[in-house]
Amino acid sequence: MSYSKEKVDTLLHNGISRRNFLKGLAASGVLSSFPGGLLEANEDLNTKIPYLGEKSYETFRNACPRNCYDTCSIKTFVKDGVMQFIEGAQESTYTRGGCCVKGNSYVKRVYSARRLKYPMLQVGGKGSGQWKRISWDDAMEIIAKKLLEIKKDDGTMLGAALTKYSGNFGITHYGIEGMFNSIGYTTRLAGTPCWPAGIDAQNLDMGNMWCNDPEEMKDSKFIILWGVNPASNSVHSMKYIYEAKKKGAKVVVIDPVFTEMASKSSQYIQIKTGTDGLLALGMQKIIIDAKLHDQKWLDANSKGFKELKEYLDKDIKLDDVSKVTGIPLEMIKELALSFAKAKPATIWMGYGMQRHTNGGSMIRAIDALVAVTGNVGKYAGGARYGHLSTWGFNYAALSMPKPEGSVGYTGPEGAKGEFAHGGGGEKAAYTDRFLNINKTARELLNSKGPKVRLLWVACKNPFSQDFDRNQLIRAFKQLDMVVVADQFFNETAKWADIVLPVATQFEENDVNVSYWHYWLSLNEQAIKPIFEVKSDVQIAALLSKHMNKLEKGSCTFPQSVDTKEMTIKEFNPGIYAQFGIKSWEELKHGPVKAKAVIPYADGKFQTPSGKYEFYSEKALELFGSALPKYLEVRKPYDKFRMTSPHSRWSLHSQFQNLEWMEDVHPEPSVYINPDDAKMKMVNEGDTVAVFNKQGLLRLKAKITDNVQPGTVLMYEQWYNNNIYNVNELVDDTSSDMGAFKTGAPGVALHDTFVNFRKI
Amino acid sequence: MKKKIEENAIQLSKRLQMSKTLRDIFTSQDSTSLKIAFDALESPIAISEELLESDFNRYFIGPLSPIADPFSSIYLDELDQVMSKSTLKVRALYETMGFSFPQQNQIPDDHIGIELDAYYQLLYIEEVKNIDYLRELRHYFLHEHLNLWIPLFIERALACKEGPSKAMVYILTQLKSFLIRETNTQGVPA
Repeated sequence: MSYSKEKVDTLLHNGISRRNFLKGLAASGVLSSFPGGLLEANEDLNTKIPYLGEKSYETFRNACPRNCYDTCSIKTFVKDGVMQFIEGAQESTYTRGGCCVKGNSYVKRVYSARRLKYPMLQVGGKGSGQWKRISWDDAMEIIAKKLLEIKKDDGTMLGAALTKYSGNFGITHYGIEGMFNSIGYTTRLAGTPCWPAGIDAQNLDMGNMWCNDPEEMKDSKFIILWGVNPASNSVHSMKYIYEAKKKGAKVVVIDPVFTEMASKSSQYIQIKTGTDGLLALGMQKIIIDAKLHDQKWLDANSKGFKELKEYLDKDIKLDDVSKVTGIPLEMIKELALSFAKAKPATIWMGYGMQRHTNGGSMIRAIDALVAVTGNVGKYAGGARYGHLSTWGFNYAALSMPKPEGSVGYTGPEGAKGEFAHGGGGEKAAYTDRFLNINKTARELLNSKGPKVRLLWVACKNPFSQDFDRNQLIRAFKQLDMVVVADQFFNETAKWADIVLPVATQFEENDVNVSYWHYWLSLNEQAIKPIFEVKSDVQIAALLSKHMNKLEKGSCTFPQSVDTKEMTIKEFNPGIYAQFGIKSWEELKHGPVKAKAVIPYADGKFQTPSGKYEFYSEKALELFGSALPKYLEVRKPYDKFRMTSPHSRWSLHSQFQNLEWMEDVHPEPSVYINPDDAKMKMVNEGDTVAVFNKQGLLRLKAKITDNVQPGTVLMYEQWYNNNIYNVNELVDDTSSDMGAFKTGAPGVALHDTFVNFRKI
Repeated sequence: MKKKIEENAIQLSKRLQMSKTLRDIFTSQDSTSLKIAFDALESPIAISEELLESDFNRYFIGPLSPIADPFSSIYLDELDQVMSKSTLKVRALYETMGFSFPQQNQIPDDHIGIELDAYYQLLYIEEVKNIDYLRELRHYFLHEHLNLWIPLFIERALACKEGPSKAMVYILTQLKSFLIRETNTQGVPA
């Protein structure tokens, strides 16, 4: 051996040995002799031997920007510029020191070898797999040229379309929409595939979607978790539910699926899918008949209670309620009466329930149950769905003016999605063009006057989350150019012309709030962006630089941005007042909570009447029924209902591709009730084909009575190296509501019907 | 700049030339620089610049999961992670060798191109400048680090069954024989 392992190991680990060695190195002439390459001589050693031993941790404030109730406040520990681990911020009573299993895997995500590293161009055409590495400048020049070509050919930028959704809810990420605002009037895939029917329902009833603070649930006396599974998908809410239960509150789970939450409840009620609204109406009838409704509150705060009562008296038959919902009448009566007697009582409604053709009407019916019992506007009460009351930022990154002389769409203007905020400023003669995000494939294929030619995909993985894969491939292929900005290579990137590597939240600055809790978190850049990744707003700035180079004034986005400065611009006195801080810098010490407000406690509703509206003229006008009447769910068109809820291992298409998740949950499964499995002669672990008029998926069977007979369940997820997308079986049939507030109705995902067989 | 001129003026030994060429291949950032470095290997394989790059990307770069990731951490630490324990060990080695790395924390220190750069520069000061101060560290780097993972990396890349690339196989074979020569005979052909 020409070296002593022991000696070198000592040199590396012993500070004194290393210092002595480095002194000798400086004297040996090595430093001036290196030929140089990517590594350079450390000239500092000539004058001073720097400390090169073990470094201490630096800490940074971060937040989880995913589309999740919990939006965790995070503390990140960095050593020598490398992220070591994260923990939930202790300062937030909601996050309280812990992240979920997905959040805890963030170091793995940031340093995954699977990250997209460089801008790449698919030289062999979409789907060819032949990729060329290109510089950021080249990538942006190619895109800028295409955009200017579209403008020149069509006289407008409407041929450029953006599809962006919930991959990152950081406020500066509205800079992606800002980028599109800054190039002219463009086309947007608008609406939301997530929760629109429920948003409309709550807006019709109360004039807003505004839930009580989840931390109040600890003092609730009765909690109904209706179609929601926080034990899997909002783990930080669990401590309040547990505390309430410990103090004697009853926690009831109503769900078609026996979930993790159900296993932790006082009572689980398995309801037939799509009949929840009828159960809520039946319960109201029982409560009113027993005179347990809150007449005083109703007199002071509601409109249309009389009409509601008449409807319940006339049309709701309790025997039918029991039969349709599959719940024994005695159980319904007991549930209704005990709910009505407990004060305060609250209901938390999940987002799955409104993904039906009668979804909005079901949310309205449950809202009404909470209102009838006088639990709206009460501490620890409320009909909980979500809120956006802490989202009053400046949206500076979003609000970019159109270039002078921009020409746009002149058709009817639609709303732009639930998080749409201002932008553009003054009312113009033109608007952007809005296409329905829930019918992306069809909308792209059918777009005319002018045709969509360029699609930019950000914060979204349409091939994992959207519908009708085959049409989507056709739609992507016929576009001149598809740009996909993402952190990982996925099915959507496969059909791109250009992929752009995007920074994680640890590599940029931002600010985050939740649509559930009331905390505000600063997100600081904790590490240098790895490889060549860039933040979405930096990408926008670079595009602006190239557009302006090619045609001065063609893009109004700033040509260079600092994500920290961009973040600071989002704050305003309203935010400071709401959160009781004087400056954003206070957030460096930890997240802060908004001053406590009980929604609607002042009796003011933003409805046309200013009251809670059981009877809504707006609902009559838009959806054909003023009252939250029972609407029968979509009729089956195949043998089994298929539901596709969220998995605890992923967040939509995110996280599942990480090793930790793959270890515990490596492949998709279809969950089948034992009775159905027996009938179809399917055993645990068999490969089955699940199919319908839309498509066919092959996957492993899991046999469980957690799902009801007649229903199969498959989680909606993206698996790395697997083209599984449950939405291939979903047609794009709309839910009943959504168009009022978000511009387009939701999708009735859980009204999908399939058949299956062993293969 | 002065150093570059000096470097070019010197007739490098075959050993030094090979380490430099292999470094240049793995640190190339575009098809042109890759093709120039590949041609320096004097392979008998005729391949276009475009195809060479798309094969190279398929094997080592992405955007799809490459056949063999070019980082030691993938083979020595946890699967699928960069910037882990062995990356930081290599960092400590570079620092002790007197290197600074301007792209630190952006490119993992244990990227094969950076490691070959270190090895080339260490050989250079020994061969061209006759400075032996870092010889022992170079041997340690070779035996206790490079040899622990590069053979695994080569093995994984050569195991590619779907569309094996002759050019990539040639590069990997050259890398393998370079390592063997360095390990067994300190660069002298056996």
